[in-house]
Amino acid sequence: MFKLNLKIALRNLWKNKGYTFINVIGLSIGMASCILIFLFIRYQLSFDEGFKNENRIYRMVTDWKYDAFDDYSNGVSIPAVNVVKNEIVGLEKTAAIFRRWSIIRVRDEAGKDLIKNDETIYYSEPDFFEIFGAKWLFGNSYEALSQPNTAALSETSAKKYFGNVRNAMGKSITMGNKTLLKVTGVFKDMPKNSSFPLNVVVSYQTFPDKADDCWDCVSSGNELYVLLKDGLKAEDITASLAQFNKNNYADRKVAGNQRIEIEALRAIHFSEHYDNFSYQNIGKTQLYGLAIIALFLIVTACINFINLSTAQAINRAKEVGVRKVMGGMRKQLVMQFLSETFIVTLVAMLIACVLAELCIPQFQNLFKGQLELGLFQHPVIFIFMILLVLFVGFLAGFYPSMIMSGFNPALAIKNKVALNNGGLSLRKILVVVQFAISIILIISTIVVMRQMEFVQQKPLGFNSSEVMMVALPNDSLNRLKHENFKQRLLSIPGVKMVSFCQNPPLSPNINSSDFTFNGIKNKDFEVRRMQADEDYYALFDLKLIAGKLFAKGDKGKGYVVNETFIKKVHINNPQDAIGKVINSNGENIPIIGVIKDFNDLSLKEKISGLTITTGKNNYWRAAIKLDAKQVFVADKKVEELWNRMFPSHIYSSTFVNEDINGQYETEKIMGVLFKVFAGVIIFISFIGLFGLISFVATQRTKEMAIRKVLGASTFELVKMLNGSFLMMVFIANIIAWPIAYLFVNGWLNGFAYRMELSVWPFILAMCITMIITMLTVSIRSYKAAVTNAVDALKYE
Amino acid sequence: MIELKNIEKYYSSKGIKHYVLRHVTTTIKQGEFVSIMGPSGAGKSTLLNILGMLEEPTYGTYEFLGEDVTTLKERKRIELYRNHIGFVFQAYHLIDEMTVYENIEAPLLYKKVAGAERASRIADLLDRFNIVAKKDLFPNQLSGGQQQLVGIARALAAQPSIILADEPTGNLQSAQAEQIMELFKKLNVEEGITIVQVTHSEKNAQYGSRILNIADGVVKDDITVASV
Repeated sequence: MFKLNLKIALRNLWKNKGYTFINVIGLSIGMASCILIFLFIRYQLSFDEGFKNENRIYRMVTDWKYDAFDDYSNGVSIPAVNVVKNEIVGLEKTAAIFRRWSIIRVRDEAGKDLIKNDETIYYSEPDFFEIFGAKWLFGNSYEALSQPNTAALSETSAKKYFGNVRNAMGKSITMGNKTLLKVTGVFKDMPKNSSFPLNVVVSYQTFPDKADDCWDCVSSGNELYVLLKDGLKAEDITASLAQFNKNNYADRKVAGNQRIEIEALRAIHFSEHYDNFSYQNIGKTQLYGLAIIALFLIVTACINFINLSTAQAINRAKEVGVRKVMGGMRKQLVMQFLSETFIVTLVAMLIACVLAELCIPQFQNLFKGQLELGLFQHPVIFIFMILLVLFVGFLAGFYPSMIMSGFNPALAIKNKVALNNGGLSLRKILVVVQFAISIILIISTIVVMRQMEFVQQKPLGFNSSEVMMVALPNDSLNRLKHENFKQRLLSIPGVKMVSFCQNPPLSPNINSSDFTFNGIKNKDFEVRRMQADEDYYALFDLKLIAGKLFAKGDKGKGYVVNETFIKKVHINNPQDAIGKVINSNGENIPIIGVIKDFNDLSLKEKISGLTITTGKNNYWRAAIKLDAKQVFVADKKVEELWNRMFPSHIYSSTFVNEDINGQYETEKIMGVLFKVFAGVIIFISFIGLFGLISFVATQRTKEMAIRKVLGASTFELVKMLNGSFLMMVFIANIIAWPIAYLFVNGWLNGFAYRMELSVWPFILAMCITMIITMLTVSIRSYKAAVTNAVDALKYE
Repeated sequence: MIELKNIEKYYSSKGIKHYVLRHVTTTIKQGEFVSIMGPSGAGKSTLLNILGMLEEPTYGTYEFLGEDVTTLKERKRIELYRNHIGFVFQAYHLIDEMTVYENIEAPLLYKKVAGAERASRIADLLDRFNIVAKKDLFPNQLSGGQQQLVGIARALAAQPSIILADEPTGNLQSAQAEQIMELFKKLNVEEGITIVQVTHSEKNAQYGSRILNIADGVVKDDITVASV
């Protein structure tokens, strides 16, 4: 029976090649997109998975509660590292791991650099590797990391520095210029889907500031992990933690209600407040958003299937009738139709796998290679595919098979089955739903793209075109060369201006602090502190509105503040601010000038209140303004000069504008994903529409022939066929608009600077869908309208 | 075999009843060959549909093999289709996607006849109707007469006790029609299969043993055909 059904199913599918093609293509594209999204979500959910004690591992994080805002850090203050061990009850192990950046060199016997590399290094206590159950290729946690001046390398970095793993053991690497580290262990690489991209790990004993006792100094580079005792949960240590917070922060009168919280290992990757070492965290909401898009895609493809199958049902009415009078049970018929659907779904799945495999490289590119995806990565992917086939098979096949198997045999045999053609048929509702989904995505895509344009075109209040930032070695020796470096830079043709500073005007690297203003402690906000030399303002074209700027050789200290700052401290006239005193670092320093506001953060954020001051010892970047016509030549010359001046360091440069655009990376990826998936859904919807119009046209061939004989023109016939489809798409627009509005408005609210949401994206989406509908439908209905009436009528 | 008592069928629209059948009472015995005749719209097909349990009468009782079937569950009705009733249609109604062989096989599959038995029965039918050479062809590759032969072979495959035929020769040329009617007669006489056919043709009716004349939903005559 099954074999026969299979055979019949294949013949049937072959007979209706056109519809089968539409179904298979629609389904396979939808499924391929679904698979990709699933791979992505699974990869994200698999972060930090599979460590031996993963349910008992927690990270200590720091929270602040100021009067006006809350603040969060993934780090802890250094003295806490030692105290946590002793004061919190229920911890089996604790381990600090601190991130720093340094140059790592491998030198030959003569002291010449063989390899010189900018590395992210981690100072770690040996217990870190014990907590996570890391695998050692050579050495072990305690051997490798207990002593000062020892280091462990990952397998990859051992190969990078010493050719192979065995060679690395016992050799030396130089951190910075003089710290010699002995390689005492090689551990297996951390998985790519982990929040710990460890390569060079230096023993915590080597860390120079481990005796620091500043309780309110928290750096996001200083993380602390703990392993709870077996059988304990996070709740079990809350009391102890509260006591710890009281003893060490409240009793010490640390500002901002600072306290330590604990965060489960598996929550780190999805954390919204706390960053991590891999910089790859992603909000769960984003994953849900993607899952919804995947669901949309699959539903759209299933709707095609349902629509085409029910439309074709009439053609199969006779077969149903005959089978029923031969003794076929309804159940058997349902099975037959379902098995047909499953064949199509299965074929679509195979094609989908191929498509997905082809798309994976592009998908990974989009995320700059931070992803590692593959169809055979994990058995759960295979299970997902099976479930997807079952889900789609049932979703797409169940309704049509119920309809078809439910035909009354007496009517079916006489071909008198009527599927309700008038009224509100399910098919029409489904088409409307399908198009509403497409339209929501079209509108979202347009809005995302427009907002990105808006962000890129909005005047930021400073001019950073052709400004490049190069690193500026800042140790006491190199500091002496700074002035000379500046002069030689300015002598390069094509270099217009040079300023030593910390960051460009717009930068996410914030140094902020609470402060007193005119002797009164401010509780509303923290002031952002920037340091730059006197050329900074001219170079970035920052406009002075009151007071004065620094001049070369100024000895006295002073702050230049922005408008937002004076507004926030309730001064209306900029002139009145001059001479007022700010204390944010223990020194009373007067305001000497006020500059016009500029955007100092991405446009998702409002402008901060900030101060700029000189700080000769704290410049670690040089901003270099180049002549637009000589950018490439000058760029090269700057690099040459730099390498001559600072031979023991590594040159790095970026253009400010590129950095600024880099801040919208997530939004850009989102824009691309929207474009692609909107395209896919539109494509699926329209091939479905084409299938449906083809069917309707075939069904109404006779009617059209009669109308033609009665004198209807081709245009009138096309109009007649198109009418109902255009109506459906129009209704879909009306339904989609409010939903899309809520959605895009919510998204735009995430930006402090957002474009005005006009009616145009909505109108545009309507025009796009209506025009494509017109074209799709007209191609087919025109063909139907011009067929020779005699051919259509001579049957029967 | 079949007992109809006071069968009535009407459709009501806007409160007005449109009668299709009125007070039909008749008995069909095992081994009879009954032809139902009458003008278009007289209710012949409706009567045949009621006999085939494709439609339910509005009133009246219908006993098939001594069992009241007017309110039969789907499962039970399908049992009857599988074991006792074979249908033959004017438009043949073969399944287009199946070969001749598969069409004949289909009812046997539903009846869950074992493979070897199935093969031998189909071979027997193909042989008897001289369509062995056509067994792998699809319906649209056959002439009308050949298609109807397959239709009858299919109806016979399940070895029914009664065949209900709705104008079996309505779409055929006279030579082919004659062949089909001869076949029916032979099945009736030699194998004792009860046959009920709806026909327009006086000539076809003569092959049977009894004629029911229907007009406006009422049985006008019930004639026994003199055997030739």
